[in-house]
Amino acid sequence: MLVPITYNLRSLFVRKTSLLLTVFGIGATVAIVSGILALQQGFKTMFVAGGRDDVAVFLRPGANSEGDSQFSRDRGLQLIKNVPEIAVGEHGPEASMEAYLAVLLERSGGGLTNIPLRGVQPATFEIRGDEVKIVEGRNFKPGTDEVIIGKRLVDRIQGCRIGDSVRLNTTPFVVVGVFDHVGSFGGEIWGDLDRFCTTMGRYGPNRVIARLKPGTVIGAADPTKAMFSETPIPPVPGSMADRLRDDPVIPAKVMSEAQYLSAQTVFLTIALISLGAMLGVVMGLAAIFTATNTMLSALAARSREIGILLAMGYRPIPIFLSFLFEAVVLGLIGGVVGCLLALPFNGIRAGTMNFQTFTEMAFAFRVTPFVLIVAVTFSLVLGLLGGAWPAWRAARMRPTQAMRRV
Amino acid sequence: MLPFKLVRKNLLRRPLRATLTVLSLTVAIFLICFLRTLITTLTAGVEHADSRRLAAMSSTGLFVELPLSYQQKIDAVEGVERTTKFQWFGGYYRSMKGFFAQFAIDGEAMFAMYPECEVSPEQQASFLHTRNGCIVGDALAADSKFDFKLGQTIQINSPLHPTPGNQAWDFVVCGIYHSKSPNFDNRTLFFHWEYFEETLKGEGHPPGVGVYAIRVKPDADIPAVIANVKGLFENGPQRVDCNTEAEFQRQFVTMFGNLPLFVGWIGTGVLIAIFLACVNTMIMSMREQLSEIGILKSLGFTDRSMFGLLIAQSFTLCCVGGALGLLLAWSTQRGVENLLGTSFPGYRILPATFALAAVIAMLLGLFTGLAPAWRVAKLRCVEALRSVD
Repeated sequence: MLVPITYNLRSLFVRKTSLLLTVFGIGATVAIVSGILALQQGFKTMFVAGGRDDVAVFLRPGANSEGDSQFSRDRGLQLIKNVPEIAVGEHGPEASMEAYLAVLLERSGGGLTNIPLRGVQPATFEIRGDEVKIVEGRNFKPGTDEVIIGKRLVDRIQGCRIGDSVRLNTTPFVVVGVFDHVGSFGGEIWGDLDRFCTTMGRYGPNRVIARLKPGTVIGAADPTKAMFSETPIPPVPGSMADRLRDDPVIPAKVMSEAQYLSAQTVFLTIALISLGAMLGVVMGLAAIFTATNTMLSALAARSREIGILLAMGYRPIPIFLSFLFEAVVLGLIGGVVGCLLALPFNGIRAGTMNFQTFTEMAFAFRVTPFVLIVAVTFSLVLGLLGGAWPAWRAARMRPTQAMRRV
Repeated sequence: MLPFKLVRKNLLRRPLRATLTVLSLTVAIFLICFLRTLITTLTAGVEHADSRRLAAMSSTGLFVELPLSYQQKIDAVEGVERTTKFQWFGGYYRSMKGFFAQFAIDGEAMFAMYPECEVSPEQQASFLHTRNGCIVGDALAADSKFDFKLGQTIQINSPLHPTPGNQAWDFVVCGIYHSKSPNFDNRTLFFHWEYFEETLKGEGHPPGVGVYAIRVKPDADIPAVIANVKGLFENGPQRVDCNTEAEFQRQFVTMFGNLPLFVGWIGTGVLIAIFLACVNTMIMSMREQLSEIGILKSLGFTDRSMFGLLIAQSFTLCCVGGALGLLLAWSTQRGVENLLGTSFPGYRILPATFALAAVIAMLLGLFTGLAPAWRVAKLRCVEALRSVD
């Protein structure tokens, strides 16, 4: 026969201070772990958002990101002509050469940061379609010293409002518009490819992007796996990626944009998840100790009640389960409090450096359902581990001893 | 008068609870040392910077290369004693798991300008005479991921600077250096500029310079040197930003964005959690002692000594936990450093961090005892005697 649940629930609320302190102790632990997860989710969703499967990214062989990659302008053009899978629109192939460079700019609050600068060709807007929207002002005119600014940068970076001028190397560029994009482009500065290359003294674009004809199979190996593999992972034999890898004229590494973007945050993801796991384990230990303390003190205060329960004929196992249940409820309340503490972080804007691209990413914390599920599970485990020993002790009491104790 | 024996007896009344509380404190103090060190490691370069060294780089960004011809022009600036160049290589060993820092350098000039980089004279000579030689930091060589040995030929792939045939670069480990100062990383590989430049010639685009390090003469007017270096290239082809080494490192730290702030938040969370846990323990043990305190009070012990009794308990608890936490942080230092490896080099707990953590532990001891101690001091004997646990 099980001990009635109401017995435990009511007992929990007898000592309000103790309950409150324990719950907030567990809550703080859960909040920290979910905060770190929310950070990871935030930049991950931002970075991966907008990654398309029908857009191919061409890099120099061996390059892992566009920062590593480099083509000369001629070779870029030749590459575009060389790939029959590229879709053809009204103005020719839907392919664009893009230059990418981290530039040092001043933050609004002071300090320097690396902001991605992207030189694009008109075809980029054709490929992006409605994904890139001008929300204020107008687009830059090709061939001029004008730039448009990602919406997420407007308040973070000095001199990034319409009419301001951003000095790149020796040339001032005028900000003429603000654009928005759900993904990482929303934190970039865009301008004309050739103007950027000339100003920076670069000889060509970093990558080529192109919309592919429907039904094209790229067949690239998973770039994340390939980065961590000591031997090269070959693309699907006979696929477009396989052919371009060994192309005698312009060898290139090609992958879908979705694949490309998912590989760009691997290091930060690993770093944050390890930090979260480490803090979870270490702080979790402290939280388990607290929960054990609380349960032990509850036990001591109620040893007479336990004696009575035993004398009434309750078996040790139901008593064990009953106290374990109480601890789990304690953990759960802590978990809920932790989630409530973490929720206000949802949407808070922050910026941190992505070590892989060496640029700042502006993003928002995202307390996703995944984060909440992890948080609540974590708190249940804390309660369970913290309650195990006290519940075991309760179950092993002898009725006479328990009742005699004052 | 404070009955010290009572403090001890009360603490040990419930050994399990005391142990658990001490252990959670240990964990918390360890975490505070760890988190604080993450931040001090980031800023270590700022504090240990050489005041006579300047750094000149493109004012556009870290990845913009400066022409090789700039070196001669900077050398000619009044007050400049010597310059040397660095270029970030961005390579990895075997796979991206083996990513670490490499720089192409001028061997002789670097040794002259960075006395904090210590190599034995034989190894230094061997490095200077080997075309594709390199020197590696002692911590890097000892890292189990790399395990670089003297005389070994190692292959490094660089996505940023591929060889014309897209093969890996070969380097011979000629020396293992030791860093005397935290601002000089001991997990880096340095190799010759000539080898770098000659290998890349086939590509048709000779490499440029990432950073020029400048050493000024002892009596030089540093602001004037900085202004003159900047002024030289104001009209291009690449504009230059020149700063003291300390300022250069400081700018680098600001690039991490809100990261230090997040670490601060986590630390605050840890503190709050542990504070609540300790208060909880103290309230529990205060409740158990109520009737005894009633007796003591009726025997003539003052309110003040009862207040002290409780504070002394929490203080002792926190000091023991804090001391163990400091010990844990100190003894795991090497292990944590290896765990962080090349992704976060230079983990070293500063004496100031230990002091900070110790002060935090003591303050916790005082403040967590405050509420229960106050209550005990205010209590009237009859009430205390009447109370049932």
